[in-house]
Amino acid sequence: MADTTAETILEVDGLVKHYPLTRGILFKKQIGEVKAVDGVDFRLGRGETLGIVGESGCGKSTVARMLVNLERPTAGTIKYKGEDITRLSGRALKAVRRNIQMVFQDPYTSLNPRMTVGDIIGEPYEIHPEVAPKGDRRRRVQDLLDVVGLNPEYVNRYPHQFSGGQRQRIGIARGLALRPEIIVADEPVSALDVSVQAQVVNLLERLQDEFDLSYVFIAHDLSIVRHISDRVGVMYLGRIVETGRDAEIYDHPTHPYTQALLSAVPVPDPEAREHRERIILTGDVPSPANVPSGCRFRTRCWKAQERCALEVPLLAVPAEFRFTEGPAAHDSACHFAEEKQVVPPEEPGGEPPAEGPESAP
Amino acid sequence: MLLEVRDLHVEFRTRDGVAKAVNGVAYGVDEGETLAVLGESGSGKSVTAQAVMGILDTPPARITGGEILFQGRDLLTLKEDERRKVRGAGMAMIFQDALSALNPVLSVGDQLGEMFVVHRGMSRKDARAKAVELMDRVRIPAAADRVRDYPHQFSGGMRQRIMIAMALALEPALIIADEPTTALDVTVQAQVMDLLAELRRELHMGLILITHDLGVVADVADRIAVMYAGRIVESAPVHDIYKAPAHPYTRGLLDSIPRLDQKGHELYAIKGLPPNLMRIPPGCAFHPRCPMARDVCRTDVPPQAEVEGSGGARRSACFFWRECLDGRHDG
Amino acid sequence: MPEPQQPEGVIAPTGMGGTMDLGAGEALTLEKTPGGPEGTGPQEKPRSLWSDAWRDLRRNPVFIVSALVILFLVVISVRPSLITSGNPLQCDLAKAQEGSQPGHPFGFDGQGCDVYTRTVYGTRISISVGVLATLGVALLGSLLGGLAGFYGGVWDSILSRITDIFFAIPVVLGGLVLLSVVTSNTVWPVIGFMVLLGWPQISRIARGSVITTRQNDYVQAARALGASNSRLLLRHIAPNAVAPVIVVATIALGTYIALEATLSYLGVGLKPPTVSWGIDISSASAYIRQAPHMLLWPAGALAITVLAFIMLGDAVRDALDPKLR
Repeated sequence: MADTTAETILEVDGLVKHYPLTRGILFKKQIGEVKAVDGVDFRLGRGETLGIVGESGCGKSTVARMLVNLERPTAGTIKYKGEDITRLSGRALKAVRRNIQMVFQDPYTSLNPRMTVGDIIGEPYEIHPEVAPKGDRRRRVQDLLDVVGLNPEYVNRYPHQFSGGQRQRIGIARGLALRPEIIVADEPVSALDVSVQAQVVNLLERLQDEFDLSYVFIAHDLSIVRHISDRVGVMYLGRIVETGRDAEIYDHPTHPYTQALLSAVPVPDPEAREHRERIILTGDVPSPANVPSGCRFRTRCWKAQERCALEVPLLAVPAEFRFTEGPAAHDSACHFAEEKQVVPPEEPGGEPPAEGPESAP
Repeated sequence: MLLEVRDLHVEFRTRDGVAKAVNGVAYGVDEGETLAVLGESGSGKSVTAQAVMGILDTPPARITGGEILFQGRDLLTLKEDERRKVRGAGMAMIFQDALSALNPVLSVGDQLGEMFVVHRGMSRKDARAKAVELMDRVRIPAAADRVRDYPHQFSGGMRQRIMIAMALALEPALIIADEPTTALDVTVQAQVMDLLAELRRELHMGLILITHDLGVVADVADRIAVMYAGRIVESAPVHDIYKAPAHPYTRGLLDSIPRLDQKGHELYAIKGLPPNLMRIPPGCAFHPRCPMARDVCRTDVPPQAEVEGSGGARRSACFFWRECLDGRHDG
Repeated sequence: MPEPQQPEGVIAPTGMGGTMDLGAGEALTLEKTPGGPEGTGPQEKPRSLWSDAWRDLRRNPVFIVSALVILFLVVISVRPSLITSGNPLQCDLAKAQEGSQPGHPFGFDGQGCDVYTRTVYGTRISISVGVLATLGVALLGSLLGGLAGFYGGVWDSILSRITDIFFAIPVVLGGLVLLSVVTSNTVWPVIGFMVLLGWPQISRIARGSVITTRQNDYVQAARALGASNSRLLLRHIAPNAVAPVIVVATIALGTYIALEATLSYLGVGLKPPTVSWGIDISSASAYIRQAPHMLLWPAGALAITVLAFIMLGDAVRDALDPKLR
């Protein structure tokens, strides 16, 4: 696993995406805006995996779409190796796109049903012909199928002849075709069956080592994010509220939202249900069209005070931990940050991960 | 036993062949008990529940065998109008997608009240009062003001509460919840699961919780039945199964999920894919994916063996449940 | 009409999923899962969605019957002499309104022309008007609708308003007004009129279909790869958005044939000496009591033709999307 001191490959600063809310048929009038992403910063090191977790509507997918240039940010910069890619177009944009690829959530809609698997995985070479000479493409496609654990003879089949897990492998093969440096994976396993999820997670980890990839891994499932990530950012209503190394976030969360989120995750251990403290939040996530003033989490927070409605908390190491060295000293956007252990600590003698035979290739 | 399903078989006839969705499922729920039915898509967990509720579409589905005993009566022998009386008053169902399960053109008050008007012959006014009471019970804030609102005016979590209120309306003895929180966010999911568990205790109902989420099961279930390819492969009290599964599929599932409290290395992955229901493998349906499979698994269907020392509470449909209990993955 | 057989699980092998999904999100995997990477399970040929649809159509009796009828109509419209040796314009007033007799199975019309021969020759006009009008409508409509759906924005809004305006025009009244000023005695004014009034229907379908398709992740995936707009449109969107257009166009073809007859009947469509079912129906309607056979045959031919196209459209729809019903 890479450490945070690795070379920064992607740098995101003040990323904002607001969608105008309009009324009127021909002549549209703006009546408000949806603040889908409202000021997000993060760094991604080479070979590193950054996990972004949050509930639906927190803006994590919009961030993903901006990273691969499917959406133009309203403000902010995305620097790939120091170059801002948000204003690029034409040839320069195309060149950057080669290096940042995406894996989509839904394996059923992310593959064109009218194209063969060979055409789907080979399409990147048609769009970027300089990557592979024509005569070489078929072999490359078959190699990719092999790499993701599918039979290379399947090139002439159509997506509907495959199951969800296999389709996701095809989507991953397409993402790998151009040998990108960064892969943005937006909920890559959440549409898959439980028994197939592990296969795909393992595949992604193997590919990371094999191709020296950096991942931005977006998911709502905190367990999977912990499993795969080196660093984690927790998003709420368009902002990152807490970020740090995985152990800092999971074992020493200081933001009340992170604590609530972690405590709400069901743990597959019936023994834990008696001695686990659960923080049950009240209410729902507010609409991003109508974001609360000050701290956006205050409407559901049990610690909220007057200050929270007036002052926007900054994402920084909270004052009380600023001069400590411990794992609690990581960025947390809360006026009243305090450490709280919500995930039962790993038992040292706990059940070791079963040593089963290797998964399906 | 409040509900007992015996040797249930359901097929779906399609042009491409017959899909055997449920192949001899047997399970039971007592009053006040929570049974979790765990399985992946295509395992038959929902089809079984729909057969119990009597809401399977026939055709294409066909119940080809078995009994569904509810409070001692076999539901499959009842006439449709008697069956209808059982639905709602005897048992009720909660669906995953509350938005599509609620009628968008009726206010939630009307939909809740309808149950009392139809089944109890109440007046509109009394029914409205009952609706408010129910909404209070599932902790919808300001219920009296919101009773005239339409489903789309509620958030996902609130809609799921309204679904629960509807299911509770006639105080059924059994509630079947089919992935009730899958579409919800974790923080809201926790609220809804808590509510469901509390109401079950309060009203002493039987609850069948259908889910694919091992975490949710561990949090609320008393007993668990694991389904694979239309069969129950293991059934046991919830503590036992997490401690030591007696079927390689259960073990595989448990080992393959990443855990919040553990950062393991590589995840164990069950190889291969769930079977095509039109071509279920002979013998044990799990054998092509099973690390313990031996010759007998390819030819003989394993019986539901009682796990020794469990006093009949625990069964496994694996020839080699002993080895599995011992934690040996490869036989 | 017989209920078409369920083309279950052909285009999307989870076609039956609809029932089993019921609120559970538990779609049964009825896919023809090719054996896992280990190569278990029977081998299976690659099957595109088009070939699946075709396989399904071939098994559908509705399709077979309607396709055979249409094939027959097309053949005789190209070579009417295959089944008749007469000349539709060679008439003998002495035989006016006479009934069936040897060599003239359908009898004679008011001018003493052979109804059988005229009905056979009328096919040509009906089919060519129907096919040409449909081609024009489909091309214009899907081009405008497709581009509007793809690019969106102001042009989309303008186009939507224009289609609304066209929808407000009553077809028959519009025909009476517009075509009554035309003096040309060819099929082109009628076809032009149909295209003018028909394209908004297809345009609306194409627009909706493109908008739905455009949102699919595979289009986004291609965009993320840097695909150009023309590649997105031609390779990803068009092949997936075209199915509803084909279906609606096929059904519309039947209605254009009926519309041609209606306009000709009203005297603003085609005019004699052109041989058309509409003209014959029009001239026969005056004698419906004395000589119903004069009306029966061209009207019957018209009804069968229109029905055949509508049935074909239905069958195609079922094949292209079994979940639509």
